[in-house]
Amino acid sequence: MSHLELTHIHKSFTNFVAVEDFNLTVKQGEFVSFLGPSGCGKTTTLRMVAGFEIPTSGTITINGKDLTNVPPNKRNVGMVFQSYALFPNMTVAQNVGYGLKIAGNSKSEIDARVDEMLALIQMGKFAARYPYQLSGGQQQRVALARALAIRPEVLLLDEPLSALDAKIRVSLRTEIRAIQQKLGITTIYVTHDQEEALSLSDRIVVMSQGRMEQVGTPFEIYNFPQTQFVANFVGSLNTVKAEVSDPEKGLLHVNGVQFITATDIKSRKKGDAIRISVRPERFSFAEDRKKDNVLDCTIENITFLGSVVRIQVTIGNSRFNMDTFNNPFLELPKIGSKEQVTCSKEAVLVLDE
Amino acid sequence: MSDKRFNFFAIFWGIAALLYFFVPLYGTFDFSLRMERGVLGFKAYELVFADPRFWQGFRYSITMAVITIIFSVSIFVPAVYWMYLKVPQARPVMDVITILPFIIPGIVLVFGLIRTFSRPPLQLTLRPWSTDILMVAGYIIISMPYMFRAIDVGMRAIDVRTLTEAAQSLGSSWFQVLKDVIIPNLRIAILSGSLIAFATVMGELILADFLVRPALGPYMVRIGLTKAYEPAALAIISYSLTWFSLGLLQYFSSRSERQKQQVIEE
Repeated sequence: MSHLELTHIHKSFTNFVAVEDFNLTVKQGEFVSFLGPSGCGKTTTLRMVAGFEIPTSGTITINGKDLTNVPPNKRNVGMVFQSYALFPNMTVAQNVGYGLKIAGNSKSEIDARVDEMLALIQMGKFAARYPYQLSGGQQQRVALARALAIRPEVLLLDEPLSALDAKIRVSLRTEIRAIQQKLGITTIYVTHDQEEALSLSDRIVVMSQGRMEQVGTPFEIYNFPQTQFVANFVGSLNTVKAEVSDPEKGLLHVNGVQFITATDIKSRKKGDAIRISVRPERFSFAEDRKKDNVLDCTIENITFLGSVVRIQVTIGNSRFNMDTFNNPFLELPKIGSKEQVTCSKEAVLVLDE
Repeated sequence: MSDKRFNFFAIFWGIAALLYFFVPLYGTFDFSLRMERGVLGFKAYELVFADPRFWQGFRYSITMAVITIIFSVSIFVPAVYWMYLKVPQARPVMDVITILPFIIPGIVLVFGLIRTFSRPPLQLTLRPWSTDILMVAGYIIISMPYMFRAIDVGMRAIDVRTLTEAAQSLGSSWFQVLKDVIIPNLRIAILSGSLIAFATVMGELILADFLVRPALGPYMVRIGLTKAYEPAALAIISYSLTWFSLGLLQYFSSRSERQKQQVIEE
């Protein structure tokens, strides 16, 4: 049963189309992330769900109720902003209880709910503090508690971790996910950070230029990208020009080096120019030579990235990056040495432009 | 070495500025005390305070100032808030409009008001109370540059749009957003605009004089035509009012900062 439904949503401003034919069904308790670069329409879509923007066409329903033209204060949708947006004139407790006060709850009800929410974010002892006395991470937790206090039907988070430093970002995102799962609240999360989207979401909507590029689980988005944009935007990717040499067998040539792909290219003709993509971690050094693609290469450069070592190799005339996990006993080849690398035919992707 | 030279010039110009400001003020004050030959005293002040026309002008000006402040705040807070939310691109236009009272002389404004409102259909100059409406309208315009700027600075210090959206997402109506979130965060800005507007109205002459209303400004001028020491005493009283307003402004601003600091230390 769908909880939130966006149907044929279109939003245009003067001379600019922000969102085009956006269709999405979100189940009760699902965590969906909108992922994409700046200006792709993800925040505009979120703001339409919140009621801060009205779609040019299309409908938004929550629990089957059409909210397309309902003002934001009548939607019962909680929102967390990038800049926290805590009310500077109110204490933490007053901020969390504000929505309940507006709804006309009694003081005892408000106090009980505020205590419950502050316990949920483990900030009970900060109740009397003002926002300017809190760190960024604490302010965002209070903003989350404030949005949840009103028992919203849908929780919307607009890049809530962007203004925080890296360590707090990681710990807070774990906390957000844990709270979301505990409360079972339907959540839409906007981010341009692929790691955040991959680690938090039940499903991801990858967006580009106002359009949905792909909707899927993090596993599907990462491993089976359907478009060049998704493959490029999510994770690292090697992309090179290739020529179809045998469409039936899936054979391709990259500057004279033969690759085999599992992607169906039967609709292409021999000699067609295409682009292939391979994720860096799908290459490995040829030890057993059992994989489909065994390729001669020259080691060009080695970069240590902490948990991963990135090795730049030349196959034919094309440069590829190859990632391998770091371990203290890792034996790395010498720069300039000739080696062989392998990858499976499933790793060689032929994607729509 | 260069630091010392810098300090010397800073001190020199600081003292020069203080002298420029305080010597005439001191001169006026000293003169106001010399009403009785050979004695320094407050005789001129006693006469001013004993004059019922002074108290009439004082009461009238204070009433006008309070009404002006109420209407100014009621007009400018929602207007500037709306501008920030809906038409932020109109800010440069508003900037120009609100400095017009500095450019257009007060005499032009008052003649404009008289010409427009002393004939039908909106004949407001016939009765005192309707003339007072014109006075308040004029005072609102005269104090507009200060009021607009004070509120504008206050709005700039808070993220108006996001705070509004946050409050709306929690169920607030426009009125509740303004009452619970925006105005409490503009307290100091509203107070500073109000105090400057108060000082402006208390010393205003041209509007009251041409609209023939019993304000403090025309009273001071009339006294100045026939008396010597009382106008000096009135000038000092007027200065004191302005300084009192500025002092209050400073006090409330620094108290707000002190409270924040105190809470942080706790």
